[in-house]
Amino acid sequence: MQPDERDLVRRCLDRDERAYRELIRGYQGAVVNLAWRITGNADDAAEVAQETFIRVLRSLSAYDPERPFRTWLFKIASNLALDVIRRRKRRPMALEDLATEEGPPIDPADPGPGPEEGLRLDRSDARFDSLVRELPEHYQAILFLRYKEELAYEEIAETMGVPLGTVKVRLHRAHEILRRKLIARGTET
Amino acid sequence: MKTNLTCGTCELELCAYLDGALHPAIARALESHVESCARCGARLEAYREISSRLAELPEIAAPAWIEKRVLDSITGRARARRFWSRGFAAAAALSFAATVGLIAHLPALARQWGLPDPATWPVVGLRTALDGVISVAKRLAGDAAFYEPLARKLWVAVSALETLPRVALLALRTPEAQFMVAVTISLGVALFLALRPSRTREGGIGHACLSL
Repeated sequence: MQPDERDLVRRCLDRDERAYRELIRGYQGAVVNLAWRITGNADDAAEVAQETFIRVLRSLSAYDPERPFRTWLFKIASNLALDVIRRRKRRPMALEDLATEEGPPIDPADPGPGPEEGLRLDRSDARFDSLVRELPEHYQAILFLRYKEELAYEEIAETMGVPLGTVKVRLHRAHEILRRKLIARGTET
Repeated sequence: MKTNLTCGTCELELCAYLDGALHPAIARALESHVESCARCGARLEAYREISSRLAELPEIAAPAWIEKRVLDSITGRARARRFWSRGFAAAAALSFAATVGLIAHLPALARQWGLPDPATWPVVGLRTALDGVISVAKRLAGDAAFYEPLARKLWVAVSALETLPRVALLALRTPEAQFMVAVTISLGVALFLALRPSRTREGGIGHACLSL
């Protein structure tokens, strides 16, 4: 944990209201966006963020300062976001399910579109984002933690409660699925 | 020159390579393979492009109410806890002071209000309580004496029911009685089937009866 992060947590434990504000302002963007990637809904994401901070601040005394604070925070947020999905019965999924669930299958025998077909990337953010949104929510969560929050593979594994190898496999699968979708979309238009 | 790294293995490690999460020796082997393999080279460039696009994905802004609601919940609860703990402490202190004052001035107050001497209150209280217990016990005993003959008659009536099966068996020996029993059972089954509330017949007569 960073020294300033450690100090912030210590001040929160002393019930310093300014420290509460600093902690919420410092992390609310990341928490809301992580929840948004998982739930796919901005209102649900804001509710998840609110509940995350309430839980974090109430259980701060149980936090182990030797571990990264962000990982602990994101773990609580992702669990709450997955609870929202479970309640919604849209695509029920628990963290323990994620350890075995591997998302859309990629046929290893099928090499997919080769280099000769080229990768025509659509430069429109909205269109690329819509492709990302088609991925399973736990893939989106891992992509967010890696490429927006720049968490290390080990931190992602701890946050999502999965082995390190699963993180590597999911990142690769997500890239491969996106590559194929981009090519398919490029050939459609 | 190709290395002994296969395309399948190389492909699996491309993301980790781009993220700098590979061991240097494996990274060098992968670079060597990618240089000599057009397919893996193209895939590496595609993944690199996708990674950079992922870093640019749009984000939503956190609503301003999150901070306020969280703080209300956290500090509001703490304030309420402090308020109630202080309130209880003050109430307990006041109650203690009032009790001590009352006990100190009890004889004078009793004389002023025309009550008996407070020293006799425990004895009077005990006697009143004992009177209450005795009167309840007497009432219960009276009730038992009243209901005892009725209970005895009920017991005799219930015991008489034991003879019913024997009477029924004697009655069923005649063909007329057997016919009547068969008709009664058939009617009962038919009525049950017609009137039972069923999920498959939401508008059935059984539902109508239940809704009355």
